[in-house]
Amino acid sequence: MIRLQRCADCGAAQYPPREVCGACLSDRLASDSADSLPARVLARTRLHHSNEPRFRARLPLTVGLVQFDAGPVAVCFLAETAAQGDAVQVRIGADDLLEAA
Amino acid sequence: MPQRLGGAARLRGHARAETVVTAHSYDGVALCCPVTEPYVRRSEHGAAWFLARALRRLLNAGNLTKPDIDGLCVSSFTLHPDTAVGFTQYVGMSPRVLEWLPMGGACGVIALRRAARAVQAGDAEIVACIAGDTANETSFRALLADFSSFSRDAVYPYGAGGPNASFALIADAYMRATGATREDFGTIAVAQRANARRNPLALLRNEMTMAQYLAARPIAEPLHLFDCVMPCAGADGFLVMPEARARARNLPFLRVLGAIERHNAFPDDPVQLRGGWAMDRDALWGQAGIGPRDVRLVETYDDYPVISMLQFEGLGFCAPGDGPGFVRRHDFTIEGSLPHNTGGGQLSVGQAGAAGGYLGLVEAMRQLLGEAEGRQVANARHALVSGFGMINYDRGLCTSAAVLGRA
Repeated sequence: MIRLQRCADCGAAQYPPREVCGACLSDRLASDSADSLPARVLARTRLHHSNEPRFRARLPLTVGLVQFDAGPVAVCFLAETAAQGDAVQVRIGADDLLEAA
Repeated sequence: MPQRLGGAARLRGHARAETVVTAHSYDGVALCCPVTEPYVRRSEHGAAWFLARALRRLLNAGNLTKPDIDGLCVSSFTLHPDTAVGFTQYVGMSPRVLEWLPMGGACGVIALRRAARAVQAGDAEIVACIAGDTANETSFRALLADFSSFSRDAVYPYGAGGPNASFALIADAYMRATGATREDFGTIAVAQRANARRNPLALLRNEMTMAQYLAARPIAEPLHLFDCVMPCAGADGFLVMPEARARARNLPFLRVLGAIERHNAFPDDPVQLRGGWAMDRDALWGQAGIGPRDVRLVETYDDYPVISMLQFEGLGFCAPGDGPGFVRRHDFTIEGSLPHNTGGGQLSVGQAGAAGGYLGLVEAMRQLLGEAEGRQVANARHALVSGFGMINYDRGLCTSAAVLGRA
């Protein structure tokens, strides 16, 4: 599940989650409570192969690299129509197949 | 947020990278005895078997006994749960220097750096550097599913595409940024296949035309089958010792003119369009006393052709973003304008796990030592070898490079 963390000391946003802030090393971190967050598509791929059987029936899958407006970068499932450069909303906390649409 | 991100960048300290103290030279260090335990598609042997076979080949090549080797550098993914520590007991050795270098595709040059410094300092006299892995149905998937905590939590759940998916995203961004085409990637892959046809150690030696390359099935678009390395089992190794010792033993050797490594370079780049080589290339060429134009033999880390292009750019063979133009201006075959990945690279030889980080180094050694037989590049006096490893999350974190010269 995608969850953005924010540092209570320096304000930096980060993802993937960790126990300390990667910028200032504080451990005062909070999860962002928004349901979705704005981001931009940096790159996309269509997967025709998966290493896990649970994904194979759903191939091809569209996966993207997106950058949140807050800074961090995430890998997520992408709507098939989303193209490089598009503004998208990334669903936070969801783990179904469409986290960015 | 931009101001805060800037503050984070200062805390991480990359602004200071240009002012680091100049590294000492590698004078007096000899690099010798490239060995390979031949790659196979699959094996029932464990990683320790492949590493031990490479070690045995080093003993034979150097006319050494185990006690002669007092330093050991080891890299492997499938040796788990063991490390270099357990391997010493496995093979009955008592080295006084031991390095475990889990840096994937960057590990060859990094092992060379560690070994060379140990030799110069007198901490060890003869260092054996080995990397190897096994491959079977379960090993590859297990490795991918638990490759790193970030990958396990934030990449693998999104389709489990493994490195193909991560590099597809990098390739997609690179193509948009630079205008690189599938034909440009194909130029690298097709030339390497031609080189591999002259290398008996390569697993893929069938002829491959550009049309065949382009017609391959998609794996993770824009990547297709022949953009992706084939996982396999195998091991590579080499020895590092004082020049005087190599002379006394009549071992042909090479010199290390310069070497660099960098980890987690440019962390604020949103997508990896450059690697750590761009931070350190001036130090590399400055230490070597030559430049990219003086090198007519290049061995890059080619887990995917796009990564070779990042190395051409990052190491100064062409300007940033000019990777596609550079590829169009050159012929990378043995007799071409710039012989590149002369044994076929991982794309045609296979990727034996961590040994992929040694493949270019042992190939450069064979070329400069005149041991490349049917694929010998004429008159190469220097070689550039570079490495790239560890997609911890969205990018490769480890980069390395070395300039080697004939003694």
